[in-house]
Amino acid sequence: MAPANVSLPANASDTTLDYSSPAYRQAYSRINGIVIEGEQEAHDNYLRLAEMLPAAAEELRKLAKMELRHMKGFQACGKNLKVEPDREFARAFFAPLRDNFQKAAVAADLVTCLVIQSLIIECFAIAAYNIYIPVADEFARKITEGVVQDEYLHLNFGERWLGEHFAEVKTQIETANAQNLPLVWKMLQQVNEDIEAIYMDREAIVEDFLIAYGEALANIGFNTREVMRLSAQGLRAA
Amino acid sequence: MFGLIGHLTSLAHAKQVADKLGYAEYAESDLDFWCMAPPQVVDEIVVTSITGQKIYGQYVESCFLPEMLASGRVKAACRKVLNAMALAQRRGLDITALGGFSSIIFENFRLETLKRVRNVDLEIRRFTTGNTHTAYIICQQLQAAAQRYAMDLAAATVAVVGATGDIGSAVCQWLVNRTSVAKLLLIARERRRLEELQAKLKKGEICSLEEALPRADFIVWVASLSQGVTLDPQVLPDPCVIIDGGYPKNIASQLQRKGLYVIDGGMVEHSLDIEWTIMQFLNVANPARHLFACFAESMLLEFEGLHTNFSWGRNLITLEKLDLIGELSRKHGFRPLMPAA
Repeated sequence: MAPANVSLPANASDTTLDYSSPAYRQAYSRINGIVIEGEQEAHDNYLRLAEMLPAAAEELRKLAKMELRHMKGFQACGKNLKVEPDREFARAFFAPLRDNFQKAAVAADLVTCLVIQSLIIECFAIAAYNIYIPVADEFARKITEGVVQDEYLHLNFGERWLGEHFAEVKTQIETANAQNLPLVWKMLQQVNEDIEAIYMDREAIVEDFLIAYGEALANIGFNTREVMRLSAQGLRAA
Repeated sequence: MFGLIGHLTSLAHAKQVADKLGYAEYAESDLDFWCMAPPQVVDEIVVTSITGQKIYGQYVESCFLPEMLASGRVKAACRKVLNAMALAQRRGLDITALGGFSSIIFENFRLETLKRVRNVDLEIRRFTTGNTHTAYIICQQLQAAAQRYAMDLAAATVAVVGATGDIGSAVCQWLVNRTSVAKLLLIARERRRLEELQAKLKKGEICSLEEALPRADFIVWVASLSQGVTLDPQVLPDPCVIIDGGYPKNIASQLQRKGLYVIDGGMVEHSLDIEWTIMQFLNVANPARHLFACFAESMLLEFEGLHTNFSWGRNLITLEKLDLIGELSRKHGFRPLMPAA
């Protein structure tokens, strides 16, 4: 260490978290809706992947079941705060990503399906849950802490399969990344204000996503330069 | 395996380095993007001791930039440090030095209260600030400068700016107990801490920067340079030695005058070439051999298998620790870096 040649700003004081304000509850209704919908989609996607990948069907069905359990957990979080999740908003929110997954599934494009579900959605969930935990109400914090551990396992499934087939699927991963990652940045932008209203930090979510996603890409076989290029794809434009 | 957590000196510098390394997305992006950028392992390092022992390490670029503090983006700055530490730990690095502003941020914003980073519980024993080695090297540079410029320490006044900081207080202890320095001037912002230091040292005069500068034959600058402070070379004695312990080293470019010698404080020179590429981007004269003493501390601890947070917390550096790190520094072939004669 060497001393800093700049002035350090004063420590930021902690904000008191109010879970009952109308602003919080309105934002929570949309974010809770997104989380519930996200888990539902993850469940459906894993069942679809089980059909596409019979050799791993049993494991994938287990993952699907876990996602359903997460969904129920998050429904309980909404009930606990007496907030009705905005499912309609959430379905529209996920539509572009869902469409891409379904198109890929119809075309039997397993790589794109795994990139969307096992990498992008899982990493996004991990990032959002990690950043939510420190600002969550006590009930939701406990539930989310349990969920995030499971999501790391789910990420691991996609990483493993794509890593084992890296040589033959590398280009396909890059294409799927280019088509789908920019959607995530756009989705995130739609809920910027809601994220802030529930005391989460958008920058921190993106950074956490980049860490989880970058690690996954590195585990699959991409080198540092490729990881930096792929994980930041479309971010600057967002 | 040892680690170094580093960062670049400004956004412009960072963009330039990213461009040279071929990271186009980073090279073309502004501060907002860097605030979201994750830490990266960008270099593999091999260091050979003069004893023949070889050690291996990794360089973690935290993506922190000083502009984050200057523009009040404290959360981003804190995230950079914690995420870089988490990455170092996940890579299994046994001892990692927190270079540049990293340890200042860790301490100033009390990051020890946030030791859980995602699914990683930070093990503090894996990290060192490197301050003990930095303080030791600054003391050696001061003594070497006295010899080179024929200045008698026994008749000299030394001003330590930032005396109550971790490095500053260690330098003061060393000067009082291991040299014959005639007068020691203690400069820092907080009066109470200055008084505590003075009581502990049983020596030293508390004074303001303005009072100190015209009297100081040697200035050890280890404080953060607060905005608005400019040094007027004309008020300094002739000769005068300034040891610039800041990062980036920016006093030499500001101050030029006959009889004024500015030394890059806390820098070491290794006796053998180090195998790494990152140092060529960190503005040092001989990137294969010149490095920050704090980085070298993690190397020394790795050579010795001392996988422990040797330098940690504030004002815990003892004379015994300074002696030990000095002994290890010499044993493995590091020397205080002095300007070319």
